[in-house]
Amino acid sequence: MDTRDTQAADAAFDELADASAVDPAQAREAVEADQAEAAEAFSEGAPQTEAQQRQHKHNHLVQAINWNRIEDDKDLEVWNRLVNNFWLPEKVPLSNDVQSWGTLTEAEKLLTMRVFTGLTLLDTIQGTVGAVSLIPDAITPHEEAVYTNIAFMESVHAKSYSSIFSTLASTKEIDEAFRWSQENVYLQRKAEIIIGYYEGDDPLKRKVASTLLESFMFYSGFYLPMYWSSRAKLTNTADLIRLIIRDEAVHGYYIGYKFQKGYEKLTAEKQAEIKDYTYSLLYELYENESKYTAELYDPVGLTEDVKKFLHYNANKALMNLGFEPLFPTTVTDVSPAILSSLSPNADENHDFFSGSGSSYVIGKAESTEDEDWDF
Amino acid sequence: MATVTPEMTTGKTTAMDYHSLNAMLNLYGPDGKIQFDKDREAANQYFLQHVNQNTVFFHSLKEKLDYLVENDYYEKEVLDQYSFEFIKSLMKRAYGYKFRFPTFLGALKYYTSYTLKTFDGKRYLERYEDRVVNVALALAEGSETLAEQIVDEVVNGRFQPATPTFLNAGKKQRGELVSCFLLRIEDNMESIGRSINSALQLSKRGGGVAFNLTNIREYGAPIKQIQNQSSGVIPVMKLFEDSFSYANQLGARQGAGAVYLQAHHPDIMRFLDTKRENADEKIRIKTLSLGVVVPDITFELAKKGEDMYLFSPYDVERVYGVPFSDISVTEKYHEMVDDSRISKTKINAREFFQTLAEIQFESGYPYVMFEDTVNRANPIDGRINMSNLCSEILQVNTPSTYDDNLDYESIGKDISCNLGSMNIALSMDSPDFGKTVETAIRTLTAVSDQSNIGSVPSIARGNSMSHAIGLGQMNLHGYLGRERIHYGSEEGLDFTNIYFYTVLFHALRASNLLAQEKGETFDGFERSKYASGEFFDKYTEQEWKPATARIQELFDTAEVAIPTQDDWRELKALVQEHGIYNQNLQAVPPTGSISYINNSTSSIHPIASKIEIRKEGKLGRVYYPAPFMTNDNLEYFQDAYEIGPDKIIDTYAAATQHVDQGLSLTLFFKDTATTRDINKAQISAWRKGIKTIYYVRLRQLALEGTEVDGCVSCML
Repeated sequence: MDTRDTQAADAAFDELADASAVDPAQAREAVEADQAEAAEAFSEGAPQTEAQQRQHKHNHLVQAINWNRIEDDKDLEVWNRLVNNFWLPEKVPLSNDVQSWGTLTEAEKLLTMRVFTGLTLLDTIQGTVGAVSLIPDAITPHEEAVYTNIAFMESVHAKSYSSIFSTLASTKEIDEAFRWSQENVYLQRKAEIIIGYYEGDDPLKRKVASTLLESFMFYSGFYLPMYWSSRAKLTNTADLIRLIIRDEAVHGYYIGYKFQKGYEKLTAEKQAEIKDYTYSLLYELYENESKYTAELYDPVGLTEDVKKFLHYNANKALMNLGFEPLFPTTVTDVSPAILSSLSPNADENHDFFSGSGSSYVIGKAESTEDEDWDF
Repeated sequence: MATVTPEMTTGKTTAMDYHSLNAMLNLYGPDGKIQFDKDREAANQYFLQHVNQNTVFFHSLKEKLDYLVENDYYEKEVLDQYSFEFIKSLMKRAYGYKFRFPTFLGALKYYTSYTLKTFDGKRYLERYEDRVVNVALALAEGSETLAEQIVDEVVNGRFQPATPTFLNAGKKQRGELVSCFLLRIEDNMESIGRSINSALQLSKRGGGVAFNLTNIREYGAPIKQIQNQSSGVIPVMKLFEDSFSYANQLGARQGAGAVYLQAHHPDIMRFLDTKRENADEKIRIKTLSLGVVVPDITFELAKKGEDMYLFSPYDVERVYGVPFSDISVTEKYHEMVDDSRISKTKINAREFFQTLAEIQFESGYPYVMFEDTVNRANPIDGRINMSNLCSEILQVNTPSTYDDNLDYESIGKDISCNLGSMNIALSMDSPDFGKTVETAIRTLTAVSDQSNIGSVPSIARGNSMSHAIGLGQMNLHGYLGRERIHYGSEEGLDFTNIYFYTVLFHALRASNLLAQEKGETFDGFERSKYASGEFFDKYTEQEWKPATARIQELFDTAEVAIPTQDDWRELKALVQEHGIYNQNLQAVPPTGSISYINNSTSSIHPIASKIEIRKEGKLGRVYYPAPFMTNDNLEYFQDAYEIGPDKIIDTYAAATQHVDQGLSLTLFFKDTATTRDINKAQISAWRKGIKTIYYVRLRQLALEGTEVDGCVSCML
């Protein structure tokens, strides 16, 4: 981490030096001063006046993004990964699940509809507020570019759920599920908490909220399609969800990584405060999430297992943020069928009677050369 | 057909459920080792918790058979061919082998998809041995000897009939025994209409169907001499896609289909673009499989960096008087380029190959058939212009013509093929290798003889003329691993060569025996390279023997005799005198489901993963350990992505030279590959005499930091 950091900073210095041909030492001081100021602004958390904000914006030089000069390799690595992973819901033959949907009981259908509306709400927040709110905090222009990609994919996810709905359910059922999402207190509370932090002033806290959303809160919903697919139901829907999970895994990881970069620069005192904040936010969310889970899953008797899954993913979220796990392994022993089905690797095998799978990626084109055709 | 699935658990269970036990296979144990025992326990628990509780109990075999016949589960005619005493002794024989499913997936797959269930789908009426006996009784057609031989080969795992045969034989309510159909389409509306009907009829009966689109006139071609009228092949593909998803085999599974197109058809780029990730909904093809027919000339043009001309099938047919698919593009290429009557467009040949690779990256499709290689190796009179859903069937066909009311004016010859695969490892252990091959050939021939697809007359006619079968092989990697030989190594290639060489000999010998017994050959035998003797040249004029001591030793220890040049001379004389019964004998399919039941690695591929994740509509996500793999011989079970395309191509090339039809060859790449790597592999495959390429598969690993901890299938 540390060496990478220094490298990134060095790259920044080089760039500056190249551009203005000023004395490198001077430039270094200037950058360090800038960073110190920025770090202060990060950690302050104090509300800025409007004038200050305008001032800040004015000072922010508009920089043309140069992908040939990467300050943080992680930006390029993640960008490439996200681009390769691009997909649209239309590629998954969801209609193959119509028959399987018919075999679910009414209670199971209701649960499924509600779980997906819950997920739609979260992805809507993440696409329209969450990822977008991270953009102004970006340290490098490449980071900004990655956030715009994340924001777009979140909207693709939100739309995917609608594809599932329109394929499987009637308009009336869909409308009822959406009405439920507006009326469910726990779901609304979870949205409220997260949006509160997105609209706050602390960039690091925003990242914490975002990582918890990406790596923790989605999973009470993801549990169900994974459960169904391990029981041979709605397997194409599960493929689509697995594509979403594949994306969310990268999103949570990246935002967590960027959080760690900012966190390292803080004073010990400030770090302790952020850490405290993280755990208390997690508790707050967890408490709400437990109730939400119980309300959804109690009728089918799966609550205990889903909660283990929540614990597992809460630890995963903390890990992404660079913090120690909260839940002991005794309460994170998720059903292996669910855990194994989470693997974001693209290595499953499927028969062509059953759908598209969740594995293909967009390839790198490279022309052949004369020597390749030497036969 | 309804399925037997456990209902959602509502309370807590004390014993771990079998899905969870099975999934533990994909998670390393506390000692860092793969937990093979958990999977065996899963199979065991599956029987205890599910199968045994849901199996209908009968007091005696008599009671059982009477019940099954009276209630329309078993076909009375099948059982009536034998005495009750014989059936009872056959049952005893089958149960005497003490068969057990070695993996959870094998058991699950069998009980979910094959075994006979009550009509409400809730209870099982057969165990594995019952199914095998019923299949044997149905296919032996009254011959007690053959019935016993089939039971011996199948229960002992040496030979496994393909899914439609194993699933359906002997049942009263059943689909066809044959799974695979290939149909031509001619350039007229009657033929297209008939094709849609055939797609519906054949899907309803459980088959995978492939169509050749090469003859259909291109986008913008004239209709009744009025220019710019035709809409080309894409709308026809859409019609097929919808037809296949409509006909869903009693709800068991969606129909599946493939379409093939000649690389020099003017719609080729539009055809490929239907699989693009960002293709418009109107043209996007989701579930239909695509295949491209590539002649040698395309490679030559690409080599020179030249453009390739695409020819209007409408004009070609008018100029040559035969459909586009029935001429050799390589042979006529320059003639057609210079012929002003044939309208043409051009694209860059290398760009064509690059696009092909791009689409393969995104979708795994298209399959590729190397047209000239296939026809050079074809011993039968006629032309091969397409393949099938798994790219292993390669047979000749002829067109049908229709009246205005869609009746046949003349019935052509279309293709069907029934398959079954030998387990290489267990066949090498066979007490009589030649007998194993012979029984397999007899079983497959019985399926052909019992099939008569009346709903598609050109298929029925083709089958009755050709008696074509496809004997496949599986578990190559499992065998090599067991013998501690690396896949694709010198010894690995040596074994593949000699094994397939030996199988071919016995397959031809069995078909020759059938011709003698029945006094009948396939139609057109006298015009084949078998009759002329040309086929045998490479075996009588050249000695084939193991190149390495290790492989010689394996054959010696197994007491599998390797045919000599004299053996071939003798066989050649017999074949030229009596002929052979089957127009086609071998085809190596990808073997999905049946290799799980049979505990084999798929086909002659390397394993896709040490612990394979299998997803299927009826099973969900299930984990499958490579057969014969233990914690001690893991190094011989490198997966296909590590092994890479070169060794796979070499292995297939060694086998291909002894197989009259095709072999489904999947190419595996790591995600660091580019389209250029795919192109290089295609060029190499073509050069080495490979006939077809099936899927292209890419493995993308999770970004470092996002993987699931301790997961076997995530590790390199």
